[in-house]
Amino acid sequence: MSRIPTRAWVGFLLLGGLGALSLLMGRLFPEVLASSCPLGSDLTRPDRTVCELAFGGLWISLAIGLAAGGLSTGLGLAVAAVARLSGGVLERWVMRLADAFFALPDVLVVMVLQLAGQSLVDAGGGAGLGPFGLMVVSLALVGWAGPARMFRNRLSTLEGQEFVAASRALGATRFHVLRVHLWPALLPFVLAVFLSRLPAAILAESTVSFFGIARMEPMSLGRYLGTSYAALIYEGGTRIVIPAWALLMLLVLGASLSSQALGTSVRKG
Amino acid sequence: MQQLLVRVSRQLMLVPIVALASYFLMASLPLTTEDDSKRQVSPELAASYRRDLGIGEPLGFLRPWQKLFRGERLGTSAQGVTGDELLLKLSGSVGVGVVALGLALVWALSFALFKSRWRRGRLAVLGDALPAVAFGTPVFIPALLLAPTVVERGYLLPELTSALVTSVWPGIFLGTLLADALETELARDYVRTAASKGLAPGVVLRRHVLPNVLPALLDAIGPMATSLLAGSFAAERVLGLPYFGQLYVLAVLQKQVAVVVVATTVFASVLVLVGLAVETVRLLVDPRAREARA
Repeated sequence: MSRIPTRAWVGFLLLGGLGALSLLMGRLFPEVLASSCPLGSDLTRPDRTVCELAFGGLWISLAIGLAAGGLSTGLGLAVAAVARLSGGVLERWVMRLADAFFALPDVLVVMVLQLAGQSLVDAGGGAGLGPFGLMVVSLALVGWAGPARMFRNRLSTLEGQEFVAASRALGATRFHVLRVHLWPALLPFVLAVFLSRLPAAILAESTVSFFGIARMEPMSLGRYLGTSYAALIYEGGTRIVIPAWALLMLLVLGASLSSQALGTSVRKG
Repeated sequence: MQQLLVRVSRQLMLVPIVALASYFLMASLPLTTEDDSKRQVSPELAASYRRDLGIGEPLGFLRPWQKLFRGERLGTSAQGVTGDELLLKLSGSVGVGVVALGLALVWALSFALFKSRWRRGRLAVLGDALPAVAFGTPVFIPALLLAPTVVERGYLLPELTSALVTSVWPGIFLGTLLADALETELARDYVRTAASKGLAPGVVLRRHVLPNVLPALLDAIGPMATSLLAGSFAAERVLGLPYFGQLYVLAVLQKQVAVVVVATTVFASVLVLVGLAVETVRLLVDPRAREARA
């Protein structure tokens, strides 16, 4: 992958630009966001504007997506590497476990993990994880199976190539082949998979937060809509829902554009 | 046949695994009762959960199911559920899900035909933009936008709206897969041969192309059923439908741990049943699947 495709750059710019702007405006200059908001004040918190809450919550959603996407990609990579290195029955069982995890719906399992994690934190356990860390860990524990399956298949394809056979014939161990020959070839694919996990993590987080199960502070976009959904329904909240929807869509679009462009470029290259 | 049995048994294995995993996770929750400032549940509630989960009893993990089959209430009296109520709520959600599945197939077919017809025209950009919009839209957003109009009207309108908003993303996702399969099939020689013999394009599509394309849908039905059922949770919550999704969310929010165990296992069982139904339909409609297993 000598050149990053233009579509991927557009996606990166969209993600980075929105995230940086939201963090800057939400954390450093909230008064600017409050004074120049054309959408008016929030329905359930009249002292805050819609822009402060929606745009200011965007970076939380993005940060959770990035952290959870990164952690689940890392977990998936580790599982795939262990499976390929061990081979045989262990590989089959690990992949079967991954398939079983993959069949379960993200949102449902994240809800159960949030319940378990919050009870643990409330009881004084939880290894110092706050709501943010708890959500990231829950999403990662749910999201590792897809990447693990993709990495295992990719590794299997790469291992069939001639340079790997030559290296093995020269006496290289499996670990050496993985580290020296396969890893550099796998890296662009890892990036594409990470970016493909990003929208899924953002959407799962926003749905679980919308249900009121996560306790993120400052609020993510999903939690913001979830904390006031009764008011949104009965007092008409189109001016709140549509901007929040547009922001979520732009985030997901940015991640999808870059992951699709990188994925296509990896397949061609 | 042996391959089919292996696949079926692998799918069925998921149910006891989910049942045991969710039971032991819930049974090990450190729900604090003593300290007023950190109390999560009252001591009475904690005692009722211990009874529901049969903690400390031999074969205690069967206790929630025993209670359900005996018609006893699981959880607290106000927020718990009996076996009959659970079935009723599940049937409501499955009903909404079946309508959503039908709608999703309609979206899928319409989107695939639209994309293949306009793939080189001015409207081609819509074929790329629509999946991006659908994928970036969590189910609760359209539900929130439609809720003020439908929530208080009743007459099954909230149920239909729930099916509608839940079906959009899975429909477009299926449509994208179908459009790709359609494009590949339309480029094959037999399509040109059929057209050159004078068959109308619609007839070629209906008689020759679609039977080859539709099995591609079956591969995606499993993941789609998962997203339909998970999406219905959000729609039911926003539209106030008292079905399985609402029960599940409330059980998690109110720490009704025994209800969570049972509902999670029931959910996994529904997914397994969908998987088995897909395998059966595949055997019935796809001769290649029958030949592969012969």
